[in-house]
Amino acid sequence: MENCRILNRIVEINITNVKYADIELCGNTCFVGTNNYGKTSLQRAILFFYSANSRGLGIAQSQKTFEEHYFRFENSYLVYEITTEDSAFCVMVYRHNKLVFRFFDAPYNPDFFLNANDEAMKIKEVIGGFEKRGIYISNQIDTFERYRNIIYGTETDKQLSKFHLLKGNEKYQNIPKSITNVFLSSKSSIDSRFIKDFIANSLTTENSSIKLEQVERQLRQFNEKYQDIETFLKKESGQLVELIDKKYDQVHMLKGTQMDLADKLGSSLRFAETQNESIREAAKQKEEELEQLIEAHDTFKTNLEEKQKDIREEIGYYDRTIRDANKKLKEYKEKNIEQAVEKNAEREKLQVDLNIARREYDSLTSNVSSIEQKYSSLIEQLRNDKSAYINKINSKTGEVFNHYNELQLLQKNEYNKKDTELKAKREETIEEITAETTAKQIEFNELKSEEKVIRNTRFYEAEIKGLETELAELRAVNYKNKSERAIKTNMVATLTREWEAMELKLKTSLSNQINKINGEIIKIKTEIKEIEDKLNVQHDAFYGYLEKHVKDWHTTIGKVVNEKLLFRTDLTPEFKEEASKTLYGIQLELGQVEVVSKSIEEYQHEKNERLAQIKDLEESLNQFQVANNEEKMLAADRFGKQLGELKEDVKVLAYSLELADKREQKLIEELEEWKQRAGTEIETSLSGNRAKLNLIEEELSVLNKKKNTVLTDFNVQLERLRVYNEERIAELKERQETEISELEVEKKNQVKEFEDKEEQLSKEKETNFKAKGVDSKQIKQIDNRIKEIQEALKEIEQYQQVVNDYLKDKRETFDKLPDLIQKKEEFVKTSNDMAGQMEEATRKFNLKRMELNKQKRAFDEELIEFNNGINFYTTNFRDTPVFTKHADIIDRAEPKRTNHNIMELCTQMLKNESHFNEEYTAFQRYVNEYAGKFRFDNHFNFIIRNDATQGEYERFAQNLRSFINENKIEMSLAETATQIGLVTDSIATKVKELSGQKDKIQHIITLIAEDFKKAEFEESKLIEFIKIKIEESDNKVYRLLKKIEEFREEHGLVYSEGLFNTDFATGSKREISTRAVRLLEQLRSAIKEQDQEEIRLQDLFELKFNIKEGMNETGWTHKIDSIGSTGTDILVKAIIYITLLHVFIKESSHRSSSDFKVHCIIDEVGQISAHYLRELLKFAKNRNIMMINGLPNKSGLESHYRYTYQFRKEDSGNVRIFPSIVTEVEA
Amino acid sequence: MPTRNPKPETRNSMTAEDYGLPKQTHDIFAIMARGHFISSNGARDNMGRLYDIINNPENFDRLQAYFNVIRYNIERGNNYFYFSKTSEANSIIEKKLETFERYIDIIDLFASMDNKITIGSRFRPSEISEECNANVRLKQKLQKIPMYRSETLLNKVRDICDLMARDSFLELEDEQTESYKVMDAYAYLLDLINSIAIYEESGEENNSGGGIIYN
Repeated sequence: MENCRILNRIVEINITNVKYADIELCGNTCFVGTNNYGKTSLQRAILFFYSANSRGLGIAQSQKTFEEHYFRFENSYLVYEITTEDSAFCVMVYRHNKLVFRFFDAPYNPDFFLNANDEAMKIKEVIGGFEKRGIYISNQIDTFERYRNIIYGTETDKQLSKFHLLKGNEKYQNIPKSITNVFLSSKSSIDSRFIKDFIANSLTTENSSIKLEQVERQLRQFNEKYQDIETFLKKESGQLVELIDKKYDQVHMLKGTQMDLADKLGSSLRFAETQNESIREAAKQKEEELEQLIEAHDTFKTNLEEKQKDIREEIGYYDRTIRDANKKLKEYKEKNIEQAVEKNAEREKLQVDLNIARREYDSLTSNVSSIEQKYSSLIEQLRNDKSAYINKINSKTGEVFNHYNELQLLQKNEYNKKDTELKAKREETIEEITAETTAKQIEFNELKSEEKVIRNTRFYEAEIKGLETELAELRAVNYKNKSERAIKTNMVATLTREWEAMELKLKTSLSNQINKINGEIIKIKTEIKEIEDKLNVQHDAFYGYLEKHVKDWHTTIGKVVNEKLLFRTDLTPEFKEEASKTLYGIQLELGQVEVVSKSIEEYQHEKNERLAQIKDLEESLNQFQVANNEEKMLAADRFGKQLGELKEDVKVLAYSLELADKREQKLIEELEEWKQRAGTEIETSLSGNRAKLNLIEEELSVLNKKKNTVLTDFNVQLERLRVYNEERIAELKERQETEISELEVEKKNQVKEFEDKEEQLSKEKETNFKAKGVDSKQIKQIDNRIKEIQEALKEIEQYQQVVNDYLKDKRETFDKLPDLIQKKEEFVKTSNDMAGQMEEATRKFNLKRMELNKQKRAFDEELIEFNNGINFYTTNFRDTPVFTKHADIIDRAEPKRTNHNIMELCTQMLKNESHFNEEYTAFQRYVNEYAGKFRFDNHFNFIIRNDATQGEYERFAQNLRSFINENKIEMSLAETATQIGLVTDSIATKVKELSGQKDKIQHIITLIAEDFKKAEFEESKLIEFIKIKIEESDNKVYRLLKKIEEFREEHGLVYSEGLFNTDFATGSKREISTRAVRLLEQLRSAIKEQDQEEIRLQDLFELKFNIKEGMNETGWTHKIDSIGSTGTDILVKAIIYITLLHVFIKESSHRSSSDFKVHCIIDEVGQISAHYLRELLKFAKNRNIMMINGLPNKSGLESHYRYTYQFRKEDSGNVRIFPSIVTEVEA
Repeated sequence: MPTRNPKPETRNSMTAEDYGLPKQTHDIFAIMARGHFISSNGARDNMGRLYDIINNPENFDRLQAYFNVIRYNIERGNNYFYFSKTSEANSIIEKKLETFERYIDIIDLFASMDNKITIGSRFRPSEISEECNANVRLKQKLQKIPMYRSETLLNKVRDICDLMARDSFLELEDEQTESYKVMDAYAYLLDLINSIAIYEESGEENNSGGGIIYN
């Protein structure tokens, strides 16, 4: 038995196809057997003792697992016996669902597991057996980890801690790994890569590599997001967004308009359909009303005209009577009728006076009657002659006078006749003209009144009123919307300020935190640097000297020495035995004094602690940044959403205001149009009227002119007639007067003769009277008086007829004249009244007629419009896609009167649709172009399918709008900025973690190099030297990873702020960020190019060997294909493995634990020469390593091993393992 | 139509960077000298990035000067670039026109689809062939396009897409789903077609499809 701890024995009970095998291992062991007899299985079972990792035994995935292949039965056991310095203990492995371990404190005894029939017992019985025997058996150890802890001496449970093979330190995992690696390496050529792997695998766990797939994924995610954001931030993209937004509004508006129009069209159509009959009825009714009205008016007019005619006749009669009376009166006046009437009144008196004068004369002449008679008869005779003559002359004069008078009368009659004729003609003509004028005047008046009516009529009143109401309502809504918009704009400003303030706060707190943590990190880094400095110099410093030469110096010198002193390299310490327990010769009792010096592990621990602190700090900073970002995002979410909603509201309001403005404008225009139309209508009506009026006025003036001309004409004729007549009469009068005056002169002369003769006779008489005494004077007086009276009576008699006529006329006519005038005036007034009445009635009638006509026309027009509209709709609209598109709206609309007619609506809709199509195509094009700019699976979800519907396009635009309004890009920016931080941080952490182990590698390599130096092959001079050195890695991906880590170290975590040129990005930050992005991009393409799954520890460095065997020197190389013969190669390989194993075991075990041995399992060593094998075994032995090798057959080599086992397959298929007879050459 | 017969690239020992040119100059030349376009919305072969590089005013001037030496001129379209040659023989121009002729029918077909295919559109050949199958007018249009291999409509559309992708008017965005994206360079074809003046011909033609539809 060895005097040290070693795996002494392995016992297989029902393991694979071995029923039972008990194999001793406490020396170099060799398994001899043909292939597939179970050598490797056994070696694996031995390896399992060291590695306790059923997956790391080199079993291919296609094969059964270790558990299934080895532990096929309930009572399959693997028992390992470990000898210690003074006794032995065992560990058994069995399957209890999974593999479990139990330790028992006794050397192996087959009775523990086998019953009397040599059959393996079940675990319960086995445990029962131990308990019965009073042997300590541990509880079940469920995990490989715990088992390794126990075996490698790091278990804290006191009951179990004694079951250790060796006392490992924190790196003990390297031991099983190294043993495993040696076993698993099967290549015969020596490749530095393999050694690298060996070293690295021994140092790392499975998880300590950098999984490039994961990194690539992170990078890709970041890169894609970055790309998306870059695309989004491009100027052209921004322009497209604006275009999409604008087009969307237009499309939306047009759509709304179309729907509105469709609704109106539907309403109009329904209205037209429902109203058609009633409108037709109404139009008919209006027509009837009109007819009735005209009839009533005609009747009224006829009645009135008849009455007017009667009255006019009356007026004519009275007018004529008055005119005749006045004419007569004038004639009478001309004849001095008043004097004549006065004189006529004196006639009776004159008659009486004449009778008195005659009687007086008779009484005076009664005495001288004979004389008297004689002279009287003479005188009488004379007088008679004279009278006869006078009479003759008078009759002549009378004849002449009469003749001329007759001529004058004839002339006068002729004149009068002509005058009357002319006047009658004139009257007739004038009357004709006047009648015409009157008719025209009536017409004129009618037109005038019609104009008045037109002026007072308000055309399109309903439409105008409707528009005015709508306008007023619109303005009210507008006012409300404007104030709402102002409020919301204010709210937007306030929220934006709040958001900015919050962002500033977050940013400040982040930068404060960053500064604080960076400060702390710098402080800790300084401390680490100090510790590292100490660790670096410790070899050459006083500390190193103490470690090497003074045992337990920590409890002596360590208590009194100054730490600074310990790490000084200039002290050149020297060991003097005599003063070994004294301080400069003075003995001190240091039992109670605290140790001030620290072990390397403590320094390492301190360093690790500080590194952990840095990591914690960075982690906390990361968390803070994440939290900060989250807060930022929350704020962005909260404010963004609110702002987005508000902005959307503002936009909607602005849009509706814009629409309202447009609508208002349109309404104003419409109103204006209606008003204008009304004006035009009035103007049209008036202009028709005016034209007529002008025409009539013209005609009137023509008629007046004509009347005047006719009057003048006639007057001239009359004047000429009158002048001619007067001339003729004057001529006749002149001739009459001349002839009469001639006769008068003749008469006068003759009368004078007679009067002379009479006087002569009178004188004779008087003389005779005187002679007889009679007073002749008195008689003469009386006689004169009689003559005078007779003369007066004669004159009266002359006017008698005229006076009589006058008196008759006066009685009958002249006295009644005022009454007649009064009556005429009354009639004139009545006539005037009637004319007024007529005029008023006509005016009313015209008004009413016009109104009715208008209404009827309106109905007719509406009907025509409806029919035209429906026709147009049926022929030009119903079959278009526009109808199909809006059919449901059109069909569902309520019947309602609208301001637009069907044709207009259809045309407008068709026009709009083509406009809509144009706009929509542009909108679609912009959306496609915009979405096309982004990756197919961009993280903004800006994606539109080729067969997307209108709704999808619109939703795209809506989402885009809310994205812009809610400023979601900020969130994306923050996320991406965080992501780049996280990605670089994660890379840096991983690289740091991995490259942290580089020191260990350096350390191991140094140790290996030293060990190679110690490989004393001097005896055989077989191998002159094996040299090894480490070089920088040329792995491109690792270099980039390293660069990123350095970058991260240099710039900390905050460079991501300047990732995009946002508000707070300064130039330098932007540049740094760009560099970061570029680095990540390079890394991504390098990963793609290199196509490597992960970066492991071995990728961090390059190893080179230089081996000299005999005369052959390989030079510094990665790979040594062949140094010499195959045997040499195997030897070198084995030497290297053993060296590695030795170094790792030394490094990974506690300094105090040195009394143990381990196994090095190398399967095929068949081709090695005996000489070499001996060398190898010796080389291993010097390093406390036992070899377990496999040989295909007995070749003499086995003689160099302490134990040799042979494998034989029995007929049952079971394998039997039995020791071979051995002659140990060297052990 | 950009040139399709470039001179072989003359490379000397100096690299592009030595002239202050972007390091992607070679890539740019390699694409454009083949008569292809560089579109801003391209994703394959870093197309978008190349576009950004040419679009940078500083780079543009340098590249222009550089390529002018070898008698190429960079032409700028709406979000795309291509080469033109300063002087070319008539026969070459004629050949190019012949090549272009086929595109007239293709664009006519694309513009007649229910969902017009425009810049940035994403589609699969199967979608087009299905629509053509369902619409006689489109089917006729498709059949009119001369392609060598055309057993089925789908194959014909595939050939068309392939041709257009080769000429850098389309980009095969996803090979698995066979999804294509229309490049910005497509505008070049549209512009060219829009600049064609059509004269009425007296001869009767029996195509029911009518004239070319421009969008």
